[in-house]
Amino acid sequence: MEHEAPAIFVALEQSGFAAAIRQSGWLYPLANVGHIVALVVFAGAVTAMDVRLLGGLAATNPGRLIGQARWVAILAFAVMVVTGAMLFAAEASHLVVNPMLQLKAVLLVAGLLNIAMFELWGKQAVVGFAPAAPTPKRAKVAGGLSLAMWLAVAACGRSIAYF
Amino acid sequence: MIRTIASLASLALLSGGAALAHHGWGSYDAAHPVTVAGPILSSKYENPHATLTVRGSDSKVWTVTLAPTSRMSTRGANDKIVAVGKNVSAFGYPSTVEKDEMRAERITVDGKTYEMR
Repeated sequence: MEHEAPAIFVALEQSGFAAAIRQSGWLYPLANVGHIVALVVFAGAVTAMDVRLLGGLAATNPGRLIGQARWVAILAFAVMVVTGAMLFAAEASHLVVNPMLQLKAVLLVAGLLNIAMFELWGKQAVVGFAPAAPTPKRAKVAGGLSLAMWLAVAACGRSIAYF
Repeated sequence: MIRTIASLASLALLSGGAALAHHGWGSYDAAHPVTVAGPILSSKYENPHATLTVRGSDSKVWTVTLAPTSRMSTRGANDKIVAVGKNVSAFGYPSTVEKDEMRAERITVDGKTYEMR
């Protein structure tokens, strides 16, 4: 049973941008490798922040750790957005109907929403904390959710190939 | 932000029924390999995988999925080799999802065999 992808994604796949990525010998592999390498950096930075929120790495000052690791995560995320857009465009009409891609998109938005909520309601609770002080519950929840969601995003991303 | 989530969620729900429209590397029947031999009708030498359409001896038109273009070029199977009009013999596994599609394990053109994996 073949379902048609929404027209906008068919148009994206047929665009000159997407065709250039498919027809180049190195653009697609470059995007693929760049996506994974950026993911590794992103995962490292996110794990450090989330583990701190959960109460680990207790010798560090949570405000400073997050303040520094965050920029690494943002930079890696930006690389993943660019490379991910390239990989997606090349096969947009197939990928948009892939259940793992869809789940990944939902989890991705949930992960970003979690960051926004932490910024609004959680961050003040940990920024001034001294090392070794136990983190408040809302920080633990935010860190736990973050770790779970970003790992799930990565798992969904790799699973796209098998669905 | 909320609107983005709502539209993504509705996209996911709307297209839920289309879940079978595409398939990944898991959807090939390795237990029942096939050989498709015949003229190449069309050739897309593109990433992530080059694809051919081939008129098999059963006169069915098969879609033959090959490998990333950089790997194929490295092994000598460039776009001059898998070109329209050439005769190809492709050994591989039929898709369990898409009709008349197969993933080639190896192909033979002009008496030379190229591994796709």
